Amino acid sequence: MADKNMRILVVDDFPTMRRIVRSLLKELGYTNVEEAEDGEEGLARLRAEAFDFVVSDWNMPNLDGLEMLKRIRADDGLKSLPVLMVTAEAKKENIIAAAQAGANGYVVKPFTAATLEEKLNKIFEKLGI
Amino acid sequence: MSEPRTIDPGHVSTASNDDMVQRIGQLARMLRDSMRELGLDKEVERAAEAIPDARDRLSYIATMTEQAAERSLNAIDRAQPLQDLMSERANALQQRWTTCQETLPLVQGSTEVARLIHDTQTYLAEVPEHTQATRQELLEILMAQDFQDLTGQVIKRMMDVIREIEQQLVQVLLDNVPAGEARENRRQKAQERDQGLLNGPQIDTSHADVMANQDQVDDLLDELGF
Repeated sequence: MADKNMRILVVDDFPTMRRIVRSLLKELGYTNVEEAEDGEEGLARLRAEAFDFVVSDWNMPNLDGLEMLKRIRADDGLKSLPVLMVTAEAKKENIIAAAQAGANGYVVKPFTAATLEEKLNKIFEKLGI
Repeated sequence: MSEPRTIDPGHVSTASNDDMVQRIGQLARMLRDSMRELGLDKEVERAAEAIPDARDRLSYIATMTEQAAERSLNAIDRAQPLQDLMSERANALQQRWTTCQETLPLVQGSTEVARLIHDTQTYLAEVPEHTQATRQELLEILMAQDFQDLTGQVIKRMMDVIREIEQQLVQVLLDNVPAGEARENRRQKAQERDQGLLNGPQIDTSHADVMANQDQVDDLLDELGF
């Protein structure tokens, strides 16, 4: 069972989506949630503070989610951080690119609460969190 | 251009290409002249002028839908704690009734009162079930607000397309000589954008390489061994 106190960063440029993800996480028992509005801010926060999990959009201004993911994997301090992509990008090459860049999971928008829970638990299980 | 139009297929195609370019150039000149004669350049101008308005309208949709989504989310945030409170209070009250019944057997002497107590307790027992169901419905309303993110991305994309059309229309008005090269560049840019990784919500999921749902995404990831 994953620690419900784990610190989660939600990265999305749409405030509505950040709120939705935050509320869903709260519904699942995860209340320690922070937000960032693009990859640049997300990366800066990840480097400055300790987080246990990242839920990120793909298409964002300044630094997109895929690029952020690549930089996380290239950063010695962050490279093992689990990242779940939650995005409207739904082409085959998107999913391949995200998987190759080291995403731990991929959820396509629009998604359901059940899907998010299932993917989170799958990642926790795999990583033994 | 002095190439003989025979024998070597390579030369044939170069020659006919040159020919074609010339003919398209002539056509374009003809089109431009007839446009002016028929007053169509004014139509193009009007179309170009209508675009800022179209952009404003799209931006209005984006703003209004975002506000509506925000209002729904705020209302959900206010309603959820009320549901929790209602459930807690019903539980507490029911417990008090149970205790009360045990310590006051007298009350049960009256069948009327006994029935009232029974009905009240049944109702109190139902409250948490109903508040839980309401919570689920609130969650459903919350999830439905994700339309704002998806439509917002589509609107953004449409604004880009409109901006490009505007540029092209203005270009048509400005150019006396058809700028074939500029157009070619624009065409290439449009193509590159299509092939990029940022395509946003898939409106038409019938394409072969588009994932129509989460199951397909999962299958693909499984296939890739992730």
